[in-house]
Amino acid sequence: MTIVTRKLSLTLNDKAIGPIDVPETMMMQDFLHEYENLTGSRMGCGQGICHACTVVVEKDDGSLEEMRTCIVGAHWFEGRKVRTVEGQAKLGTDGEIVALSPVQQAFIEHFAFQCGYCTPGFVTGATVLLDKLKREPIERDAVEQTITDALDRHICRCTGYVRYFEAVRDLVLKTPGLVKA
Amino acid sequence: MLRKLLLAILAAVVIGVLVAAGIFFGMFEKSVVAADIEQQLSADQMKALAQRGAYVAVAADCYACHTARDGAPWAGGMPFVTPFGTIYSTNISPDKENGIGNWTRAEFHRAVRDGVGKHGHLYPAMPYASYRKMTTDDVDAVYAYLMNREPMKVANRANDMSFPFNIRQGMTFWNLLNLSNKTTTEVSGHSPMWNRGRYVTDALAHCGECHTPRNFMMGMESSRYLQGAMLDGVLAPDITKAGLTQMGFDPAVFATFMKSGISAQGAMTNQMFEVVHFSSQYMTSEDLQAMSAYLFDLENLPQKPELPPKPEPIAVPEQTATSARETYNGLCAGCHGVQGMGIPNVVVPLATNASLRLKDAANLNRTILHGIPAQRFPGLARMQPMPAFAANLTDQQVADLSNWLRATWGGQQPNVTVQDVQRLR
Repeated sequence: MTIVTRKLSLTLNDKAIGPIDVPETMMMQDFLHEYENLTGSRMGCGQGICHACTVVVEKDDGSLEEMRTCIVGAHWFEGRKVRTVEGQAKLGTDGEIVALSPVQQAFIEHFAFQCGYCTPGFVTGATVLLDKLKREPIERDAVEQTITDALDRHICRCTGYVRYFEAVRDLVLKTPGLVKA
Repeated sequence: MLRKLLLAILAAVVIGVLVAAGIFFGMFEKSVVAADIEQQLSADQMKALAQRGAYVAVAADCYACHTARDGAPWAGGMPFVTPFGTIYSTNISPDKENGIGNWTRAEFHRAVRDGVGKHGHLYPAMPYASYRKMTTDDVDAVYAYLMNREPMKVANRANDMSFPFNIRQGMTFWNLLNLSNKTTTEVSGHSPMWNRGRYVTDALAHCGECHTPRNFMMGMESSRYLQGAMLDGVLAPDITKAGLTQMGFDPAVFATFMKSGISAQGAMTNQMFEVVHFSSQYMTSEDLQAMSAYLFDLENLPQKPELPPKPEPIAVPEQTATSARETYNGLCAGCHGVQGMGIPNVVVPLATNASLRLKDAANLNRTILHGIPAQRFPGLARMQPMPAFAANLTDQQVADLSNWLRATWGGQQPNVTVQDVQRLR
């Protein structure tokens, strides 16, 4: 049996990748793990339910979108700009972490996670939410519901979600421009 | 001469008005409820009937419509949006003020079988055109069962119908034209199984109310009995022998599908999901098999499975196939599988899916665009939600995908157009 491959090119964490031969039916998660050694996007359910595998996709208009990698084929990302959890922090010239992203920093400060398996998904989800609020600020009294709506689909089995929720709420409230005055 | 003509016209108008008034005031209405039903049932009879009534009510799927989402059981309030306005189902719990607590046996029979309630004429959203064929015993059993429920003090919601449809009495015209006085479903010369199946299909489960197309008067078109109809943009498919075979069912598989809601042909969605949820999962295997035998027009179920042959794939233009494969491998194959086999308890197979074999692609296209919520099925089975892809795919991409899926696995002509998809957004 031969595996049919196709050329794949995309931008991954600001780096141009490819064109490289990738099996036509390979899922994005396997591509990230096996071809790019980016194992941060977690394999959880493999059915698109738990959202531990999500990555940020930057659309043509610059807005961000969250996509599941366990159920979306690698070739669907052809030509797209993708950011995995490995691409969230600012890195120094030697690849060392210089600064965490605001979302990552907020999660650390709030002790938001325990085992951390779901965290890449939550970082992705919260990052996309912040980007959305930057474009479309919301009323103060809509903050809690908006966070719930945006992150509800992310499954975490150890924290009970409260600290993730508080971390995102604090970040939303203290970041200028996300909430209407 | 002119005078005579005018007189004739006047006479015709007067007769017309008189006839219309006669119809309006119910002079031509014929109750199928026998006179002896006026006799009330004794408490012992009611008690004895109630248990069977629970089953009859389940088979007739009364609860699904007479209970609002998150509402009190049997207290009504479920909205039915029609082109003429919104009708709300009524409280049929035995509450004396709001429900049917004060209804006599005969009043209940007349509501169920004639479409005439204590408060006036019912709208045919209540399937009395089908329930008309229920036996006296079965209507009695439902009456006894409902009168044994907990009374619910929930007021009925007023209907919001436009003129002249807000005049209930006007339903006399509809009834005159659409109600059959043939009240038995029994056909001599057929087996008890076939006949039971016909009774379950036509009287209790009232399948034709959705699966038989309606004419301009919204009456069921008997010439196209069970041949499929569009309801709010969703196709209730043809469930005649030809239709079921086209979808890939054989009699045995169809009977179990009605019980479990899941089969190789897919999972129940939309209103049929609710039918399984509230009704058919609780029906006896005997009744479901009888229904299946009747729909397949068999006197008895065959001993061996006889699945219809797989449809022959139809070639699609290379450009369509390339576009579709890209979409399929990108967004569909992760769950449905490259070979379309699906994953048990997660996602339905596509290679054997009934929706791909229907002549009309509306159900498939709608599903691609708008997804399906997570659903729990009998026996702890469940299906994960199907995402909506309206935001990810262009009309062209959906049309290509739909054409390729239908042609490859459903044997259907690739005739879905961009406009077909656009209309469903």
